[in-house]
Amino acid sequence: MKQFIIRRLLQSIPTIIGASIVIFLVFSLAPGDYLTIKFGEDPNITPERMAELRELYGFNKPLYEQYISWIGDILKGDLGVSLVHQKPVTTVINTFMWNSFIIAICVLALQWLIAAVVGIYAAIKQYSIYDSFVTLLVFIAMSFPSFFLGLLLLKWLAVDYRLFPVGGMVTTGVNYTGLDYIWDVAKHLALPVITLTLLGVGSLTRYFRTSMLEVIRQDYVRTARAKGLKERVVIFKHALRNALLPLITLFALELPGLFSGAIITERIFNWPGIGRVTLESIYLRDYPLIMGFTLFIGILTVLANILADVLYGVADPRVRHK
Amino acid sequence: MKKKFFTTIVCLLLVSALFISACGKSKDDAAGDDTATPGTEQTDQGSTEQTGGDNDSAGDDTGFLKASDPSLIPAAAKARTDTIIVGMQNTSGIFNPAFYDTSYDRYVNDTIFEPLNQYGKDATLEPGLATWEISEDGLTYTFHIDPKATFSDGTPVTAEDVEFTFKVFLDPTYDGRADLTVPRIVGTDAYKNGDADSIEGIKIIDDKTIQITVEEVRATTLADLGVYVLSKNYYGKNFKKGDLSGVKALNDKPFGSGPYVFKEYIPGQEVRLEANPNYWKEPVKVKNLVFKATTDETNMQMLQTGETDFEEGISVNKDNMDALEAMGFVDRSLLLNNGYGYIAINHKLPKFQDKRVRQALIYGLNREDVVFAYSQGFANVIDVPQSKLSWAYPDESKITHYTYDPEKAKQLLDEAGWKLESDGYRYKDGEKFTIQFSASTPNPVNDALVPIMKENYKELGIEVVAEQLEFGAVVEKRNQGKHEMAFLAVGLDADPDPYGLFHTNGGSNKDGYSNPEVDKLIEQGQKELDQNKRKEIYNQLYQILNDDIPVIFMYQRYNLNVINARLQGFDISPYKYFSRSLHQVEIVNQ
Repeated sequence: MKQFIIRRLLQSIPTIIGASIVIFLVFSLAPGDYLTIKFGEDPNITPERMAELRELYGFNKPLYEQYISWIGDILKGDLGVSLVHQKPVTTVINTFMWNSFIIAICVLALQWLIAAVVGIYAAIKQYSIYDSFVTLLVFIAMSFPSFFLGLLLLKWLAVDYRLFPVGGMVTTGVNYTGLDYIWDVAKHLALPVITLTLLGVGSLTRYFRTSMLEVIRQDYVRTARAKGLKERVVIFKHALRNALLPLITLFALELPGLFSGAIITERIFNWPGIGRVTLESIYLRDYPLIMGFTLFIGILTVLANILADVLYGVADPRVRHK
Repeated sequence: MKKKFFTTIVCLLLVSALFISACGKSKDDAAGDDTATPGTEQTDQGSTEQTGGDNDSAGDDTGFLKASDPSLIPAAAKARTDTIIVGMQNTSGIFNPAFYDTSYDRYVNDTIFEPLNQYGKDATLEPGLATWEISEDGLTYTFHIDPKATFSDGTPVTAEDVEFTFKVFLDPTYDGRADLTVPRIVGTDAYKNGDADSIEGIKIIDDKTIQITVEEVRATTLADLGVYVLSKNYYGKNFKKGDLSGVKALNDKPFGSGPYVFKEYIPGQEVRLEANPNYWKEPVKVKNLVFKATTDETNMQMLQTGETDFEEGISVNKDNMDALEAMGFVDRSLLLNNGYGYIAINHKLPKFQDKRVRQALIYGLNREDVVFAYSQGFANVIDVPQSKLSWAYPDESKITHYTYDPEKAKQLLDEAGWKLESDGYRYKDGEKFTIQFSASTPNPVNDALVPIMKENYKELGIEVVAEQLEFGAVVEKRNQGKHEMAFLAVGLDADPDPYGLFHTNGGSNKDGYSNPEVDKLIEQGQKELDQNKRKEIYNQLYQILNDDIPVIFMYQRYNLNVINARLQGFDISPYKYFSRSLHQVEIVNQ
């Protein structure tokens, strides 16, 4: 097992290098750069000043030189300085990423919990009214665009009925600490979490249901029933464990998503997350931030893949790696 | 048999549903009012510099709509008896007038820092931290810092602080928006590119007096030299020539002489400020000030529920104006934005080099329709590249107003040698008249402009091919001179000098426009210090520009600031923006 992990990690290095080259090229070759956007509509900028600034930022150097210095810095742990925020990229990411993480982890927990319960029950009672009803709801939830659902919930629950605050992460102008702070954030968390959960729970429920259905048809489940085991034991001890196998992979792959932020939802609810910051930095061509963050997520994805494989091996002896 | 029939029908229905949905226009939400991106008709990003009056608002006599029913003010707002909450787009957190990035940073900076001089409501310079004298030959500027002026900790503002500020702006590694090489202070080169430790032309006479000598006479120098003053004791602690990192490290811990003191910054959420108890000018009326980040999707609701008292970023269109009217408890300040939208023309292309062709293009485009479609009446068509409120705006009677006249346009095209052929298009020397139009998306102006332009020009016999690009791509294409025509917008300074835009060597003149008469007048206007004489020069200049059509002038729009009626005392204009008036505001309980 250890050998397997080490081998996979080594294999992923060329992948990561390749990813970094692609990221670098994509952003360097995109039309316009940080200075074009910043001074684009400034009528007083002189060509000499632009040239001076280009020199200062090192945009004049040939591409491979810029790439080498970027990678060199990364290996030292320095992701560069964000052009827009004028702070180290790591600081910027740190400031905003954990806000996105809080939402993502709540959503993850809720989604999986609800999907598991609903999906498994639908599988057990296939073709019943309950199953049809759930399927219908699921498809409705999946079809809503995220911004629509978000705005709708915002209007109903925050503006019309004042149940929740209209966005943001903390109440303006007040300085809560300790439990009060946690409660304040929780109140603000509620709507984005509800929105994102509703959007994602649909497909996940289908996964659980399908996986469960497949397992219930198996011979060993029939054998278990024939043996006289209680239905509850048959379902939850024997069937469920096997049904969960493919879902392990899915779960592991959710991990990078925990850190990348939900761009549209963050915008609607004015949540200070990394998704929104990333989108802005694309428009403003803030290369260090965007490249650093993309690379970070890329590495996380590769690691998550390895983790998924390892976990699968742990759970399913048939798939163990030598 | 029946089942098969039924199944077939259902399948057909589903397939046709697919086709119908594919043909419908897809609406992107983040598209519509995405003002976080440098929208082309917004001048929020990338417009001008430190002391320039910029887009803005608030009540005066023109365009101030009062709330119809102040009793509707929500309880949440009323409960805040000593706090003003200003809603606007997110800041980047760079609270330093030397390094700020977005207009929103600048709004915050305006409450914390003060400049030596600033533009007043009518775009004339007035004293800020200092009064001044200019020598006879126009080369020596002496600033007298107000004896009462202090920083928020009570220490006096001195000439040393001013000298330090200039050292920051002229540092070889300075990468902010301002360009202080423009006023040509004596010794700039030796300091910036050489080994000099200080700037020769800046002399400290005494604690409150500083003298600056420049190399040439320029009308904009007085404004350019009126920098926002940074405290040497605070920002200079870790300052070394060539290394501004110590100064930049304090970007999110600002300290200045202004009416408000920085308290706290929650990234992505809000900036909290408190009234400066030692403010040297006048007592600040409201104790707490919060700049809260709002988004297009929620800024109206925030006003509605009383979570904000003031909103800077609501777009001016009929729907919004109606909704605000219905709210009842908000004042609306509509002031002309100091800037304009225009269509750039690439003058390096032979087909555009004939003035008659350009005039035909502006006569032949129904600009009124486009502007109305885009703004529902909240923008004006312009024929001169200057705001109607500027003192330099020319005599209306001498200007040609290019009202839509396709017949005249056709006539001009005929005169210029573009003959209409049997296929409905014009040809000259075997070349068909086609225009490639670069439209940035998302952009509500282009949404209105492109279809109308295609139709109007087709009637003239010109084929328009529109390509949609992202805003950055359009700007880049234009900067490289690879464009034919593109819609863009520009923000103006309070000073009318249009060197960058229309002079042959102007830094923003990427269209290759060159007119020696225009060059001469621009240069004259730069060197003349007497405002009346300058007005005459600009009168002539704008008449020529109006006739010569360097770009197709489109519109000047309005800016909207929405104010909860409980806030009173805003004193603003397009040249003096709301952030400079916040300390004059008081909360009145209705």
